[in-house]
Amino acid sequence: MTDLSPITALGAAGPWAKSYGPLSLSENTMLALTSLSLPAQTVVPSPFGLTLPEAGQSTATETHGAFWSGPNQWMIEGYGLAETDFAAVVKAEADAGYVTEQTDGWCAFDIEDASNGDAIQKLMQKLVNIDAHQFSPGSAARTGLEHMSVFVIRRSQSKLTVIGMRTLAGALMHALATAAQRLEA
Amino acid sequence: MTRLNGGLIDRNAPLSFTFNGKRLSGFKGDTLASALLANGVQLVGRSFKYHRPRGIFSAGSEEPNAMVELRSGAHQEPNTRATVTELFDGLEARSQNHVGSLERDLMAVNDLMSPFLSAGFYYKTFMWPRAFWEKLYEPAIRRAAGLGELSMLPDPDDYDRGFLHCDVLVIGAGAAGLMAALTAGRSGARVILLDEDCRLGGRLLAERQTLDGTPASDWVQSVEAELKSLPNVQIMTRTIAFGTYDHGVFGAVEQVSDHLLAPNGKVRQTLWRITSKRAVLAAGATERHIPFANNDRPGIMMAGAMRAYANRWAVAPVKRAGDGIAIFTNNDDGHRTAVDLMAQGAKVLGVIDVRDDAPCFGEYRVFGGGTITDTRGRHGLTAIEVTQHGSSTWHKVGALGVSGGWNPNVHLASHHRGRPEWDENLLAFVPGANGPVGLIPAGAACGQGSTAAALADGVRAAKDALSQLDMTATEIAVPTAENEAQAQTAFWHVPGAKRAWVDFQNDVTVKDVKLAHQENMKPVEHLKRWTTLGMATDQGKTSNISALAVMAELTGKSIPETGTTIFRPPYTGVSMGVLGGGDTGKHFRPHRLTPSNTWATEQGAVFVEVGQWMRAQYFPKAGETHWRQTVDREALAVRSAVGVCDVTTLGKIDVQGADAGEFLNRIYSNMMGTLAVGKTRYGLMLREEGTLYDDGTCARLGESHYVVTTTTANAAVVYRKMEFARQCLWPDLDVNLISTTDAWAQFAVAGPKSRELLSRVVDDFDISNEGFPFMGCAELTICKGLRARLFRISFSGELAYELAVPARYGNALMERLMELGEDLGVTPYGTETLGVLRIEKGHATGNELTGQTTAAMLGLGRMVSKKKDSIGAVLSRREGLEADRRRLVGFKPVNAASEVVAGAHLFTKGSAQTTETDQGWVTSACYSPHLGCYIGLGYLEDGDTRKGETVIASNPLQGQSIEVEVVSAHFVDPEGERLRD
Repeated sequence: MTDLSPITALGAAGPWAKSYGPLSLSENTMLALTSLSLPAQTVVPSPFGLTLPEAGQSTATETHGAFWSGPNQWMIEGYGLAETDFAAVVKAEADAGYVTEQTDGWCAFDIEDASNGDAIQKLMQKLVNIDAHQFSPGSAARTGLEHMSVFVIRRSQSKLTVIGMRTLAGALMHALATAAQRLEA
Repeated sequence: MTRLNGGLIDRNAPLSFTFNGKRLSGFKGDTLASALLANGVQLVGRSFKYHRPRGIFSAGSEEPNAMVELRSGAHQEPNTRATVTELFDGLEARSQNHVGSLERDLMAVNDLMSPFLSAGFYYKTFMWPRAFWEKLYEPAIRRAAGLGELSMLPDPDDYDRGFLHCDVLVIGAGAAGLMAALTAGRSGARVILLDEDCRLGGRLLAERQTLDGTPASDWVQSVEAELKSLPNVQIMTRTIAFGTYDHGVFGAVEQVSDHLLAPNGKVRQTLWRITSKRAVLAAGATERHIPFANNDRPGIMMAGAMRAYANRWAVAPVKRAGDGIAIFTNNDDGHRTAVDLMAQGAKVLGVIDVRDDAPCFGEYRVFGGGTITDTRGRHGLTAIEVTQHGSSTWHKVGALGVSGGWNPNVHLASHHRGRPEWDENLLAFVPGANGPVGLIPAGAACGQGSTAAALADGVRAAKDALSQLDMTATEIAVPTAENEAQAQTAFWHVPGAKRAWVDFQNDVTVKDVKLAHQENMKPVEHLKRWTTLGMATDQGKTSNISALAVMAELTGKSIPETGTTIFRPPYTGVSMGVLGGGDTGKHFRPHRLTPSNTWATEQGAVFVEVGQWMRAQYFPKAGETHWRQTVDREALAVRSAVGVCDVTTLGKIDVQGADAGEFLNRIYSNMMGTLAVGKTRYGLMLREEGTLYDDGTCARLGESHYVVTTTTANAAVVYRKMEFARQCLWPDLDVNLISTTDAWAQFAVAGPKSRELLSRVVDDFDISNEGFPFMGCAELTICKGLRARLFRISFSGELAYELAVPARYGNALMERLMELGEDLGVTPYGTETLGVLRIEKGHATGNELTGQTTAAMLGLGRMVSKKKDSIGAVLSRREGLEADRRRLVGFKPVNAASEVVAGAHLFTKGSAQTTETDQGWVTSACYSPHLGCYIGLGYLEDGDTRKGETVIASNPLQGQSIEVEVVSAHFVDPEGERLRD
């Protein structure tokens, strides 16, 4: 391991977290991401045992996940693996695919809802033009949020992940926190 | 006080408010208008043009007259309709558009000038001298004819925006809307029911009728309770749908805290974008008036509004309790107001009905075949002249209700170029069959205005919507209601010589319409603009149909032949604040921060906005008092030792695939497919029409793996263009693209000691000139095992590298380079120094790649390869471009003290300075600390053959004109020895 100390996308030593009523927002700094895209006619691999999802969907195990990001293209997630060479591991799992390290291209915010999803729906209504009601667990979308491009993944009824561009982390955090705080008011 | 009995106000909750500083009281449930009327206040404002005294005219959002300023200080809100302002304790309201007091408005002199202020008067009057319009006439007119005043302070309120989705959107919660929502809701559809009012019920709240034998308001409550119990129904009160947009999208504004004294942490308003599969437009109808002489006095209002004030708010709209009230009508509905007023205990003089066979529905006097031919009362109505069969009599009254029939609210059904259609039986326009897709009008909005008809039509509309969505409608019982008498006769205005107002808010009279006709402004769109009819904030909701009926009469055409003007959003005024969407100041738009931003901030760097990016512009040190001192120091340090600059903002695009080389050959004008693994090449991209698009480097990291870099400004558009090419132009190529701009923190390490500095961070990597020569690239590890990418490329012209690491380590790497390079004199540098270094070297950037320049102009014409095709290559050879003889050269001032200014135009010495003699322009300029003078780059006609010539760089905007010597664009190390060393 290197002797350089990483900082978070928000420029801090550790992840940001704050609660607003039933909503808990926290930065997930340890999410490893790698894009995987397959040349046409390639047999679709199952990296880490994942069945790569259809458009608009995500899938996950305890340790890894995947969400659709384009035709023949997915983002592979490694939970807690951000400081490893995750792209190399994904390449080993899906040799026929084109793999690009994406971990530090993004910043991830997990939003957990103690009210079992009602507050997440209301928050989504303020943030993204996605039908929150139809956005059931397992759904994933790329969409606009406050003039930023983000991925939104419904992990469960009570958990949503918003993944935005790393260099825009401050603006994304502000947007999420402001919306959550307004719901609380 | 003119309070009556009953009503839907809470008499246990008194509220205190002020109007023009005078303390008054009302009750919870009042609007500002109802509370003012309850206090006997009839005069509430002055008219737009003639400053005539005006009162409350309606009871809803169509109000043309009762415009007031609310609140004070920065919260001051002009042009607010008193009729839709909920009363709250502590409300401050003021009348507007008067000089001096409301009662003694000095600008009322305008009314005496009215013969000169007819329609189109300022088009005719203020024609010359032309220059006077902007400086004199317009400001004077705006001062005289205006509405409320802005506070001129920043808006202190918060605004929000959001997105909603539903199966069925129901707009309006009156009889039809409630039944539609109930039908769709019970059937399991996801329903949003919205209404501009603070409570559901719409017109039902204003009437005395019963539904299923119970008061209508009780029925509304029971329906509301059921709708609230349905999890698939969302009710939004205080929310007005203002526009119909594509694909079932509606714009709506929710007034979240306008009804509160202070927002208490809430936003003021929320802008909702509602995406519906189907929408039921149950927006009701707006009553129209009948113009007659002096019909604009306070105390004259819509008969239906009068009924609403009596029934819902328990108010008689007179100055003193006991003053008589008259009704002027052409239809049965007017009589209903008289009946209701009497039932509430108000004194009714009688009903003046234009019909000879006027009916009578109670014990009141009917003036059959009667019209109103004049009125009296300076600040409020005191008397009306009733003319019946040729004879006129004056009657004392304190208020007059006018009913000329009802116009369905077709507005939202008429956006998207939907044209309403004339219904001869209703004497009104109804929504046309060609309205917005998925929008189903219901109830009074489509001419089904009686209570019974509206209830049934709401069910019908919901069933239509459900059926179109393949959903099964649950059968629903329609409550028993009256089918009120609705007979009417066509009667549009009372002819006469005196002024009769059509559009109250913009002071347009029947005479003005006649004048427009006389001056051949006959088409309705001309009529509108010539007279300003319907162009005020109320958008003519109470006036448009009356005006075009008058025009139809004058032209001898029918009303449908005359037609309506085009309907456009917004249906009602929408504040700019809520359209702006909320964030202001530094959060107005998102900012991108570079990976070393934390470190740079700690160093006291000065930042500059570059597109979305905040980049370190320069790093001032103690004792430096001017930015030039800092930049000179940074630039000299780079050329003498080593500097580090965060260049993460340059776009990085990962290109992989078996056909990646071929793909890049087609994207770049120069050959890229032949690039060896481990090498980097400078590349040019052209626009389709052959001019320069972008430049950057392309590094080949593996057999089928390249990394393309772009300029900061074009990172997104180049990526988009490449995706377009991949997906649409050449889908057969096996190539994959993904942006990695944010993923890698990238630093330029430049200067003669850069190799020495980097040798201190790399792990077991041969960084010698032989081991890693100019234009090399490699994947390696640094700082004990961190994966990194190293490129030997130079923007500064010095021995230089760019080093990339995963972004989270960028800040620490910057710190490490500063620490390890201290003895080497390492210096951080920002965008200013970056600019100085590249200008000294003659490297192009956005200033040179303007979209109108070519590779040949840059002196790189041979980089457009003829051995292959690429985007823009063929068109770059067209005559028009090839003939361009401007070439990039450098400039030095003849007088070393002179400043070369970017943007200055170049002229041959001694020639006139005109467009025809223009020889080119200076694209970039800076002070060069190495040359000790200003220098510039620029495009000059035949520049490559004019070295040594003195030309003029002229900046006429600032009166500058200096002599400059044409020199090589490469001021520093023209042979390029340093970067290869």
